[in-house]
Amino acid sequence: MTATELHFITVAEAARRIARRELSPVELTEAYLQRIGAFDDQLHSFVTLTADLARWQAQSAEAQILRDGPRSPLHGVPYCLKDIVETAGIRTTGQSKLLAGHIPAEDAVVASKLRDAGGILLGKTATWEFAHGGPSWDVLFPPARNPWNTAHHPAGSSSGSGAAVAAGFAPATIGSDTGGSIRGPAAACGIAGLKPTYGLVSRRGVLPNCFSHDHVGPLAWTSEDVAIMLSIVAGHDPHDPGSADVPARDYAAGIDAPIAGTEIGVPWRWLEEEAPCTPETRAGLNAALAVFRDLGATIRGVEPPPMQLFNDAKKIIAIAELYSIHEKDLKTRPELFGASLRYRIIAGGLVRAEDYVQAMRVRRDLASAMQQIFTTIDLMMLPTGEPAGKLEPVPHYTLFTDPSYTTAFNVSGNPALSVCSGYAANGMPQSLQIAGRLFEDATVLRAGHAYEMATSWRDRRPALSTTRQAAVA
Amino acid sequence: MSPEPATRQEIDVLARRAGLKLTDEHFKELVQAYGYVEQMLIRLRRARSYADEPAHVFVPTKFGPDRGMI
Repeated sequence: MTATELHFITVAEAARRIARRELSPVELTEAYLQRIGAFDDQLHSFVTLTADLARWQAQSAEAQILRDGPRSPLHGVPYCLKDIVETAGIRTTGQSKLLAGHIPAEDAVVASKLRDAGGILLGKTATWEFAHGGPSWDVLFPPARNPWNTAHHPAGSSSGSGAAVAAGFAPATIGSDTGGSIRGPAAACGIAGLKPTYGLVSRRGVLPNCFSHDHVGPLAWTSEDVAIMLSIVAGHDPHDPGSADVPARDYAAGIDAPIAGTEIGVPWRWLEEEAPCTPETRAGLNAALAVFRDLGATIRGVEPPPMQLFNDAKKIIAIAELYSIHEKDLKTRPELFGASLRYRIIAGGLVRAEDYVQAMRVRRDLASAMQQIFTTIDLMMLPTGEPAGKLEPVPHYTLFTDPSYTTAFNVSGNPALSVCSGYAANGMPQSLQIAGRLFEDATVLRAGHAYEMATSWRDRRPALSTTRQAAVA
Repeated sequence: MSPEPATRQEIDVLARRAGLKLTDEHFKELVQAYGYVEQMLIRLRRARSYADEPAHVFVPTKFGPDRGMI
């Protein structure tokens, strides 16, 4: 295989070739490490590279596979982790000066599962500070950049994860999503990213953002790869209070099944009245819906509660929980926070207990209303967001004022996948968000896979140059 | 709480009650941020029945000896 073919191989294809002993985990790992070394100074997608560990794991995996065959689809396949996922003996910073020297003693549950599956850890990827405040230039590391155009941002907070997969630095990664932090970077970087059903993937050992809305999930180039990763990391964890006691399953099995007869709802009022999308994004959504119509799906409008209510409830709950997590540091060393995160959480100290409870009551109403809608449709579709804009400081208050197409599904807990749905006139990826019923993550992934197979968007990759890429508009 | 926006003095009282001793710069950040937060708080308040429980409830089955939470 050529170097380019190695960089852009999917997890599924790598697994097939490794099982047939046509692909060496050592060769694949070296290819990624070389590409990261050549290009990541442009993207800042990694904050810690674990090259020595990766080489050791690759050699070990290769020997085991030659002897016994692969023990999972990830055996011998490289991946990376957002730098809020704790890793035993490996620095885990949350991009924060507060944790500059934090070396965990234990792996997070997801890290442990990926290691046990035989994956090769390439390193830890950039995030917004504690997966919440950003982009920031006054935190431990510079913000990641978008490989489709380094003048643009990769969204957040799983910024480095999205950038690394799109750039061909790794075929898959694990991120987290509290209001859209997996789906946003997936959308911005033109890859697939799933916020699983709340409770499906353990959060134990992952630095918290907001306990009640935190989700851990995979990002990869394709929905099929996301399904493979989810199959490895999903499962009940009795030590995670939010973990759901549901049976583990293979989310990639049956992913090729036809989707004819699927009923799709579109929240038009959100997109036309509450937070109108641009004409280009609307045209992209219409084109994507036409693909699903051609695949045999039916499409109609649905009326979820106002988007603003979802956003208000989530943000009040989030700042109260964030404040409770960071109160001591806010009082004793506030200067170590980036200004963006500090601004966004300090007012959480003024949220009264009764307001937190009222927000949680609203959350219950909203989650209930959303499940009611999903009794009438199989999937809901809408853009994940607008294509990524320039990487530049944004006013801190935008967290409180900007609408979000993603947050509603954190509040309701439903699974939601972002897939690439084409490219805007400026070359930046467009996105489609596919949400489904609670614990029907497989249905969401099947729809994403069907869409990717019916379109040609997976054939295009960002071009990185060995000479520093000019930051073009 | 009154629907009238909190004054700087009221925010100062709330901050002190929360135990925050802020520099002038950080207090300015708080005043601006709380203005947006307060608008959200007002939008979330509504008439409720006594029985309207919040989304988070104590689930005792998670605390059994074989359930991991102890």
